Amino acid sequence: MYTRKTTIINKTGLHARPASDFVNAAGKFKSRITIKNITEDEGPMNAKSIIHVLSLGMGPGTEVELSAQGEDEKEAVDFLIELIDSGFGE
Amino acid sequence: MFYKGNPVSKGIALGKVYVYKPYTPEITEKTFEPFRIDEYLQRYKDTKASAEMELQRIHALLSDKDPEKAKIFAAHIDIVNDVAITEEIMDAIQYDHFEPDYAIETVFSKYIKMISKSKDPVIRERAADFQDVKNRLIRNWHGIEESNLSTLSEPVVVAAYDLLPSDTAALDRKNVIAIITETGSFTSHSAIIARSYEIPAILGIPSLMSFIRHGEEVIVDAISGDLITEPGKEQIEQYTLMRSQYIKKVRESKEYLDKEPLTKDGVRIDIGLNIGSGNDEEIGHSQFSDFVGLFRTEFLYMSGDSMPTEEQQFEVYKNVLSGFKDKPVYLRTLDIGADKTLPYLDLPKEENPFLGCRGLRLCFDQINIFKTQLRAALRASVFGKLCIMLPMVSCIEDIRSANAIIEEVKSELSEIGIPFDSNVKIGVMIEVPSAALIADMIAKEVDFASIGTNDLCQYITAADRLNPKVTQYYQSYHPALFRLIDYIVSSFNKAGKPISVCGELGGDPQAIPVLVGLGLRRLSMSSSAVASAKAVLSNFTMDQMKEMAQQVKMLPASEDVIEYLVKTQNIKE
Repeated sequence: MYTRKTTIINKTGLHARPASDFVNAAGKFKSRITIKNITEDEGPMNAKSIIHVLSLGMGPGTEVELSAQGEDEKEAVDFLIELIDSGFGE
Repeated sequence: MFYKGNPVSKGIALGKVYVYKPYTPEITEKTFEPFRIDEYLQRYKDTKASAEMELQRIHALLSDKDPEKAKIFAAHIDIVNDVAITEEIMDAIQYDHFEPDYAIETVFSKYIKMISKSKDPVIRERAADFQDVKNRLIRNWHGIEESNLSTLSEPVVVAAYDLLPSDTAALDRKNVIAIITETGSFTSHSAIIARSYEIPAILGIPSLMSFIRHGEEVIVDAISGDLITEPGKEQIEQYTLMRSQYIKKVRESKEYLDKEPLTKDGVRIDIGLNIGSGNDEEIGHSQFSDFVGLFRTEFLYMSGDSMPTEEQQFEVYKNVLSGFKDKPVYLRTLDIGADKTLPYLDLPKEENPFLGCRGLRLCFDQINIFKTQLRAALRASVFGKLCIMLPMVSCIEDIRSANAIIEEVKSELSEIGIPFDSNVKIGVMIEVPSAALIADMIAKEVDFASIGTNDLCQYITAADRLNPKVTQYYQSYHPALFRLIDYIVSSFNKAGKPISVCGELGGDPQAIPVLVGLGLRRLSMSSSAVASAKAVLSNFTMDQMKEMAQQVKMLPASEDVIEYLVKTQNIKE
């Protein structure tokens, strides 16, 4: 199990396109990946599911925690954290 | 009868109502005998596959014609295949022995309810996508064909409770003359579609579906938001006339794009563009403008995941400068800090960032970033008419220090024999009140200036423009702003130095006559504002605009200014 935290910085949050980008990226890894909304203490939810990600309502400024378990757990979490930190090109 | 709703896509239409009722699934709680689990799981998978096939077909159909809309269906395909939803539906079939349509209904409804309650409007609007996919799955389960608005026999006003993305996918654009719905707002799917097709639309008309009758004649005034049923002969005549006038006005304003920007009495006003990325589309707009009044260079810094190199910047600046050829380009040096941050640049958190280390102050602090940008800009200066514009100047010392750094970079370039235009003009943004109040002194030290009305407004009203709690204090028509602009403009005009406006106000059709009346001859705005700005200018003579400026300066409150401007402009039309 590998876990890291970060904060959503892009201005629309994990909602429309950024949410789809995030879920598609998570889907490429083999590990089970979860995401938790720390700010509002909700989750953890399946990071590969668009509905789970949306249901966490993560706007800009939300602190999140990503965890993964599996053969590519570290790679998966690091990649997704970097994606969030990049601001999804917004 | 008169009914009110939100006009979300402007226009006027008169015609017959077509009441559109999309497929609404009727679901009852149904379970099956456990020995049939495998059969039901297989049938659910088939249903899912056929729903996905429908979506793939629509997606393929749209990806050439309308890539934006195709994206909606790509998102629907993702929802159909969502791992969590699929797993939960299969579990409900396998362990609770729910029939698939009931399983689909249960699982989707749970999530739809959840996101409909979200605080965030962007997420709430997405509930429509899930509703849409749910209905598609259930319809496929029942083997019912899709019905939509793709083939209508005559021009109609489409009335519906709500329009979902799939209802409008293959919308018969020729025959839909207006859209009216019972729910929805400016950001809903129906509104976006209506605006992109330029179909007049009123959404959110309370209990529309209970009073509207299929086939009845209505008037849709999507300018004011009025729906008129059972219109009288006079009303029909009146609105037919209004409709043709409105269409004429829209067409005229589009035609103005290529026109020379002249006041009614023939005074030439220079129209500038605010650009950001410097891409080909932006450069293409040079044909209907006189200069670039604001080239925001932040885009270059914000689009990558590391600091742009001198070479990368040079290529972009060269492209913009050669694209605009002999038209001056006001390149604003890096303006970050406060609300604009760079992911790769770790800046200390400040208590009061809008009054902190931002714009030019940050460049002084990070001198290497500043010098790299200046080198790239100066090197590109041989390809066009570069003007360097410094943001967040608050005192004369700022200008002197920046000039010293620019001179240093110039001499470094000369030493290694790199050519640059030695006549590059240096100017400032006037957006801090202390700079505005010494505009006469600043005019002596610079070649030009541009008024940044957005920041100037927030600094003089002491209202953070990003803080929703103080929006009523951030008044773009505050008389103080006009008085200050008056002082800046007259100081620069007296000194014979070019002065322009590049904030929101510069492209605001209501404010433009006042700005010109105050003595501005150079206005810079986003490309979408140019046509209406030119149209407004042609409506007024210089004397009329001077009179308006005088009046506005004497009004006590922002609301008085707005009332006065609405009144005078309506008389002109």
